[in-house]
Amino acid sequence: MAVSDLAASDIVETVPSALLILDRNLNISSANRAFYQTFRTSPGETEGCLIYDLGNRQWDIPALRTLLESVIPHRASVEGFEVEHNFPTIGRRTMLVNARKIFRPGEHDGFILLAIEDVSEERAARKESNRNWQVTQSIVDTIRDPLVVLENDMTIVTASKAFLTMFGITQAEARGRRVSELGQHQWDVPALRNLLDKVLPENKPIESFEIEDDFPGLGRRVFNLNARKIMQPGNHAHRMLLVFEDITYRKQRERDAELLTNEISHRIKNNLQVVVGLIAYEIKSTSAASVPGLKAMQARIGAIAQLYDLISQSSRGGSIAVDAYLREIAKQMSASLIGDKSGIEIRVKAAPLVIDPDRAVPFGLLVNELATNAIKHAFPNGGAGHVLLAVEQVCDDLELVVSDDGIGMQGKVVLDLPEKRGSDYVAIFVRQLGGILTRPTPEGKGTTIHIRLPLMLVPAGGAAPLAA
Amino acid sequence: MAIILVVEDDIFVRELAESMIQDWGHTILSASDVPQAMLHLRSGAPIDALFTDVYLKAEILGGCNIAREAILMRPSLRVLYTTANRITDKLHALFAVGTHFLPKPYTEDQLGISIRNLFAT
Repeated sequence: MAVSDLAASDIVETVPSALLILDRNLNISSANRAFYQTFRTSPGETEGCLIYDLGNRQWDIPALRTLLESVIPHRASVEGFEVEHNFPTIGRRTMLVNARKIFRPGEHDGFILLAIEDVSEERAARKESNRNWQVTQSIVDTIRDPLVVLENDMTIVTASKAFLTMFGITQAEARGRRVSELGQHQWDVPALRNLLDKVLPENKPIESFEIEDDFPGLGRRVFNLNARKIMQPGNHAHRMLLVFEDITYRKQRERDAELLTNEISHRIKNNLQVVVGLIAYEIKSTSAASVPGLKAMQARIGAIAQLYDLISQSSRGGSIAVDAYLREIAKQMSASLIGDKSGIEIRVKAAPLVIDPDRAVPFGLLVNELATNAIKHAFPNGGAGHVLLAVEQVCDDLELVVSDDGIGMQGKVVLDLPEKRGSDYVAIFVRQLGGILTRPTPEGKGTTIHIRLPLMLVPAGGAAPLAA
Repeated sequence: MAIILVVEDDIFVRELAESMIQDWGHTILSASDVPQAMLHLRSGAPIDALFTDVYLKAEILGGCNIAREAILMRPSLRVLYTTANRITDKLHALFAVGTHFLPKPYTEDQLGISIRNLFAT
């Protein structure tokens, strides 16, 4: 035997595919070890046997006959010929057959080399995957919101029926297209593209991305987009689920509510302007002693108007964040500090607590009154100074602290009018809120006032909407 | 003393503002809507400042439109806006550069300070 023959037989014995060599009469000349192992047979039962007679004629398969008798005679080789058969010894199998004619030098009658690969498990896995995909697709189709599954390259793998209806396209038309190419390129938005690009590599979901545009056949619509990475067991390729939530009507309701709130706010504040104007007329004709009281009243009406704005802006019927609320009050008060008061800085230090809208006005007026008193009395000679508005939770209470670094109480116990009245208002607001006021101590620099209030948490189910 | 065009659709509020401004020695021109305001602005009469309500009954954001046209016609005009509406970033963006704003309700003192600031810059 030649060296080349030895090497060839070694290779044949080593390859994992089952190999058969047939002569021109389709008798088996030889087979390799993989063939005997796969089909549980032996060289004695195999060699010299007509392939169709092998193993009680279990190889007498119509598809194999077609290959050997009709295809091979006309072609030098055939690849990937799939044969599915129920073998009595090993059960149902799917085999991929490659066939090639072999001619030795000087011989006209060649041999046929058959390489048989058992792909049963792979095919079963593929069927299972297809079944899973169909189940996924049916789930996708039952979801009312339009959604798509995207590949790594942002092309559509599949789309829900709602999505196809929305864009008036078929599944075949959707598949392979990019989201940015849909409709009239409404989704081709750089900000959305940037977000989508991060979903898969950074596993960073898109929780909410709003797009408002005119959609052919749908009219003007507002969509809220959500996207997240989806993992497929046993598959390293990642895909993305992109859901289009139509929030047009919800958005419209929100806009109507905002319009109504603004309209009501506009009317109320215009009316408050009239009230402030009426007081201004009174100021012109009243005695000098009454003027400070009337001006203080104008300032309080102004404070109520500002608070109304803050409440309608921050709550829309829900709870109000105390920290943001205090910051707004501080901002608006700071804007009014002019002349010798312009060196005063109002600071806020607040824990993330919430209050309900019903108590927000007395709370805001209380803060306003205390801060106004501090600005008015703590820095009589002008210059720099600080007023601190602080809120923190102490046990089951909310503690409001208004402090300044001004001249302090300097032994004052009873305040003159209208300051006395200001203190009365503080007491009334504290009572209204069910709180306790700690009187300021006359010693030390500045004045600090502590007020303990029951935690103004929003009751379960949310606070009632603001009264118009 | 200055000549100030006051644009306000609420007669009571406008007359009150005008009487305050006149008390400080200024001269008043009065308008209740966009066409009246534009007549004054186009008349060629001297006007130093415009004090306008933003939201006018016949025209939402009418005050912003008046101010925009007025500044085009009279680039040195001082502008003070007022409104009872909540000031959103969107509304603020409509205010011309270098203009001033006074929220409603305003007191005589606050209007006085705003008018002084208007001419201080």
